[in-house]
Parts: sequence; C-alpha cells; structure tokens
Amino acid sequence: MSLTNPPSSSGPLTATSRPAAATVSQSLSLKRSLQATVEENISSRRPTGSGYTSKVRVRDRYHIVGFISSGTYGRVYKALGKNGQKGEFAIKKFKPDKEGEIVQYTGLSQSAIREMALCSELDHANVVQLAEIILEDKCIFMVFEYTEHDLLQIIHHHTQPQRHPIPASMVRSILFQLLNGLLYLHTNWVLHRDLKPANILVTSGGAIRVGDLGLARLFYKPLNSLFSGDKVVVTIWYRAPELLMGSRHYTPAVDLWAVGCIFAELLSLRPIFKGEEAKMDSKKTVPFQRNQMMKIIDIMGLPNKENWPGIVSMPEFSQLHSLTATRAPNHFSRHSNLESWYQNCLKNGGYSAASSVGTPGEDGYDLLSRLLEYDPTKRITASEALEHPYFKNGGPIPANCFEGFEGKYPHRRVTQDDNDIRTGSLPGTKRSGLPDESLMGRATKRMKE
Amino acid sequence: MAANYWASTQRRHWLFTRERLAEIREGLKEKDKVAHSQFPLPDQRLLNIYFSQQLGRLGKRMSTRQQALATAQVYIKRYYTKNEIRSTNPYLVLTTAFYLACKMEECPQHIRFVVGEARGLWPEFIAPDVSKIGECEFSLISEMHSQLIVHHPYRTLSDLQPELALTSDEVALAWSVINDHYLTDLPLLYPPHVIAVMAIIVAVVFKPSSQTSSYGHPAPIAGAMREGGMNFLAALSDKGGTGPPERIQKLIAWLAESEVDIKAVIECTQELVSLYEVWEQYSEKNCKELLGRMVKSKSLEK
Repeated sequence: MSLTNPPSSSGPLTATSRPAAATVSQSLSLKRSLQATVEENISSRRPTGSGYTSKVRVRDRYHIVGFISSGTYGRVYKALGKNGQKGEFAIKKFKPDKEGEIVQYTGLSQSAIREMALCSELDHANVVQLAEIILEDKCIFMVFEYTEHDLLQIIHHHTQPQRHPIPASMVRSILFQLLNGLLYLHTNWVLHRDLKPANILVTSGGAIRVGDLGLARLFYKPLNSLFSGDKVVVTIWYRAPELLMGSRHYTPAVDLWAVGCIFAELLSLRPIFKGEEAKMDSKKTVPFQRNQMMKIIDIMGLPNKENWPGIVSMPEFSQLHSLTATRAPNHFSRHSNLESWYQNCLKNGGYSAASSVGTPGEDGYDLLSRLLEYDPTKRITASEALEHPYFKNGGPIPANCFEGFEGKYPHRRVTQDDNDIRTGSLPGTKRSGLPDESLMGRATKRMKE
Repeated sequence: MAANYWASTQRRHWLFTRERLAEIREGLKEKDKVAHSQFPLPDQRLLNIYFSQQLGRLGKRMSTRQQALATAQVYIKRYYTKNEIRSTNPYLVLTTAFYLACKMEECPQHIRFVVGEARGLWPEFIAPDVSKIGECEFSLISEMHSQLIVHHPYRTLSDLQPELALTSDEVALAWSVINDHYLTDLPLLYPPHVIAVMAIIVAVVFKPSSQTSSYGHPAPIAGAMREGGMNFLAALSDKGGTGPPERIQKLIAWLAESEVDIKAVIECTQELVSLYEVWEQYSEKNCKELLGRMVKSKSLEK
C-alpha cells in the first residue's frame, strides 16, 4: 500500500498550511466531523432491496482518526480498532467509479483484484500485513497493520535540518529485511514491480515491510505476456534499464535494480538516477525514457554488447544508439563511474570505520554494483544477495533496524483535515506532510492498464 | 502462498471433508425448507454439467482459456457453500464468476463485453445493466474473503509429464479428466496434485480410448474405468503377482515412492466413475427449465 505517495506537483499541502495553534476543542470537533463524514459516506447510500450488503461494516470495527495520503487508487486513513479489536490500522479505501453524481458498481480494476488476492495469500514478517478486506457501499476497504514510518520519510528526516547520514548498521538491517521480503515474494512467483522508498514501510519496532502490492503480479506461466497488462511499470527513478530499453519479458531482476537504487539512496539521501519522465503522447505510445536512461549512463557508463549481450535485441536499442551518436565521442564514459560515485558518497556522508555511523565498506560497494548490473540475467538475485559478504561479514544483523540508533523519527503525519471524504473527485494533493520542495517534483505517475 | 499450495488459502480455508460439506449444505437447506420443496433441482453434478456447458459457451465466444473457466467453476462452488442457490440468479453468478476469473487469470474482459455476451446467451436472466455484475462481484469476493487465487491440477500435470514420460495422448486425456473433475465436489475435497495424479492414472491405466471429451458421451468411460479400476486396485494390492503391463507397473512404482495419498487418489477415481454414471441422466433441457422456473418465480433476475 502506498501510505506515502509522494506529492504531485499540483499539491498545495493543506495540512501544513493549517495554523499550528488550533485549539483542542477545534481539533476534537474536526475529529468528530471526519468520523462523521466517513460514516455519512458509508451509510448514506444503503442499498435498497435485495442488493449486496456487507456483513461486516467498517464503522463498526474501526474508528477513523485521520487521513494519511491519497493516490490514483483512492485514499489511506489511520484508524483504531473498535469493539475489542486492538491496535492501529491503515485503511486503504479504493475510490469507486462514478457516473455523474451517482456511484455505480462498474467492476473492480484488475490491479485492485490482484492486490486483494495477493495480500490475502501473503504472510511474511517483511511484507505488509493485511488485517481484513471489507467490501461495503461500492467501495473496497483494505485494512492493513499501521506502520509508523517509511523509507521516504526516514531519508527525508536525514536531510533536515542539514544532512546527516543514516547509520551504516541501520542501512544494512533495512536492506537485509527488504531483500528477505523480496525473496519471499519471488519464491512465491510474485513480482512487486513498484519498489521505491515510499513503498518500503517501517514499523516503530524497526521491522521492514514491503508495501503496496498494487502493481504486483504472479509471473508463473502467465496467460498473457506480462507486458500486455500494464504498459509502464515502476516509478521511473527505480525503473530497471531493461524496462527503459523496452523489454517485454521482465523478470524478478527488475525488483533487484530497484533495491540497488534504494540502497544508493539510503547512503546518499538522494535518488541516484533522478531522471525526468517523458510523458505518453496523445497516441498513447510509450516514449523512450531518454532522460532517465542518460542519468543511468552518467554513472554506470554506456551499456554495450560486451557487458550486456542482450541489449542489441532490445526494442529501444536504436534509440540508445541515436542518443550516443548525437553526442561528442567522449561524452559518455564507456566504463562505470559507480565506484567513484560510491567513494564520494561515503566521504560526503561521513561514513568511515572510525566514525560513529560506521561504513558499508567495500562489501557494500560490491553488493551495490551487483544490484545495479545492466544485464538482468547477470544481476544478483534476492537469495544470492542475502548470502553476500556485506551481510555475512560484520556480525549479526538486528531484526530491529533502529537498534543502537539514538535519534528519533517523527511520527507519520495524520491530518484531520479531510472534508472531502465523499467518494467524489479527489483533490490533487498526494502526501500529507513532507513540505520539501525537492520532493515536490517527483515523477511518480504510474500508468496502469 | 501464491505458488505454494501448502500455505495457500485454498488449502487452509477451502478444503472440506465430505462430512463437513454435507453439513454445510444441510445447513443451507434447513434455512429455507420451503424453497427446497417448491423448487426441486437436479443432482448437483448435473447442475454442474449444465453450468460448465453454459460457461463454456460464454468462454468460447470470447475465446477464453480453460484455466479461467476452471477458476470460475471453483468460484461458483465456493460461493454456493455460503449461499443457497435458490436465493440467487445462477446465470448472474455464473457470468460474474467468469468475469472475475478472467481478471484473476490475467485474461481480462471488459465488463460491458461480458454483459453483452451473457445477454446474447441468456437474455431473460441477464439485465443490460453492468452494475448488476459489479454488485455480484462484491458479493462473490466478499463471500470468498478475497481468497481468489486458485491452484489447479493442470500445473502438476505439466510438471509430471516429463517425469512420467507421458505421451501427448495421455496428457490430453488427463487434461480432459481434470476438466471433468470440476463437475464434481472434488475441487473442494482434495488438493490439486491428488487430482492430477488421479487424472494421469485414468489416462494411462484405463485409457478410455480417444473419444473421451469433457462433454461427450461418458458412458463408455465409466465402463472402462470400472473394469480398469478393478485391475488397478488388484495391481496395487498384489505387487509382483502376474501383474499388469510394464507401463502401469512403472506408474505404480512411482506412486508408491511418491508421497501421494493413494487412498485419496482411489476415492477421486471412484468419484469420477460415479460422475460418468450419473451423466447418463443428464438433460440440458431439464436443468434449464428447473432453473428458469426457480429464477422467474422468485423474480431473482431483477
């Protein structure tokens, strides 16, 4: 679940513009009105006659305490269990389709169906835990355990007020747990396809949960080629080079490229390949992501048939060729600059064996270079990565990634300011919180089926 | 999980004992005795044959893969362990199960298209309004607790083909036996690999000639299986005796070494034999009339 979709560029963040000095009574009345809007929304359209009615009702089981985020799929709320049910929850409410003012049943999207079905089967300590799914009043409510943090928020916290590195031991624990969750998904033939910091959830106890399976799908003998369903997959900054090159048969390796990008981002606190997304044109043809590919080439060097034999048969190979032809002969490095990028990153971050933050060292570089391997057939797998010296050397890995960490991360921002819970049009604002301009331009639009 | 049957919701939540299944159905009947006496319906298996044929017609017009049809049949079975058939419009349930299964099996069809095709087949029972299907989809998913991933025996069959050196004829035959098992309660009673092994045995041992097809004339199969079954059971209990042909001995040896529950396999075979026997009473017309009368009298199509 994307509790934390990065904001769209259109998003004035209503939550943060609210005066901080709201009185207690004001905030209480806001709370009441929020709950009321949820309930009104649910109860106002009781189906008449013999239609479908849910046996379980959201408002009987949960008390909505606030709004977390919204996205193309709908909205996420924070809730508390009611009537003997303990704990905090994140409720993902899928937006129903509307025809005019009347909400109609129009059939659920395939991605909602996939997410519901997969989350119902999955059970692993490093994968987001589903509590239940309630289908009520033409809406789907997926109830997940609540997670206090996510990697986007943690990375952001380390840039404020000035940059201070995430301790090396925390990075190592995060990465290990992430790979462990991914191994579970891959051994069960599930591709995640949308790994990015915002989708990697972290509990207050320091456990990593891979979240948002909205794009995940089974890859065991699919009836249709995996390509045919959704045209473009994975937020562009984390998109593997074979996808940028137009590959139609992608594999679990796409998720490992994204892990490499996340690893780099945890160390440098910036996306390593921060390209600009080329939008689909009016004919809905998927363009070659020239800018994103350039960002990768800037650091990884130019891919060629020596380091990636399959590249010559990629659909966008000619595009890559023309891209290089228009530049000066020495514009692109033929070899990888990743090692100097990495050494720079360690230096700037203050990572060293002598310092209190420690260092991911040479093993860290080796793992990163194997994750950011151009050739998907040579890229390290989740199970190989878990056996890598980066994890084998350097002692036990704490299950709590915060172990030994002195700092404190802020709680997830939950706002009361949500008068628009009606199933109608949702505002363009995505994430509440994170008033950071550097994040505002995130090119995150996912194009689904 | 998704690829792991042992941890799947299918095994944990949708596998019943015969006794439990009978209890559930008795419970549904108890709740509405009047409807039961007012609207008698054919044997469940005959109804299943009817549903399967209707689904086949719907799927054919959209050239849908068999696996999606199989998934739809499993959804229908699951749904009717939670709901009395006499309180539903079976044509709507069937269409919705098909629509949902196509999405789940990655061969999605647009809801308007599905409704259009279904109306073409059953104009009296399917409203032109897509929201009926959308609403029924909520009901299906809710009753199945969003447990929509179904493990089928087809996969085990393809996995075992090289190991058991099955000929393409045998695979085709086993495949059609698997198709047939969806007409019984077997998908709710046994794991898919047991069904697959049963289908392979039927194909290799009984070889009910090539005329077998899902919706053909099953009578000769039943006869062949009865005889073959005797031989097979004899072979199992009398290892090393005069014994059956080498090919069958090999299969028996493989079975003995595998950890497949042989008793379960035999029970499945018997279930299939009895399906083919009851099939002789099948009348499409009769199913259609009884269902039509039920839906119309109770205005369930509205």
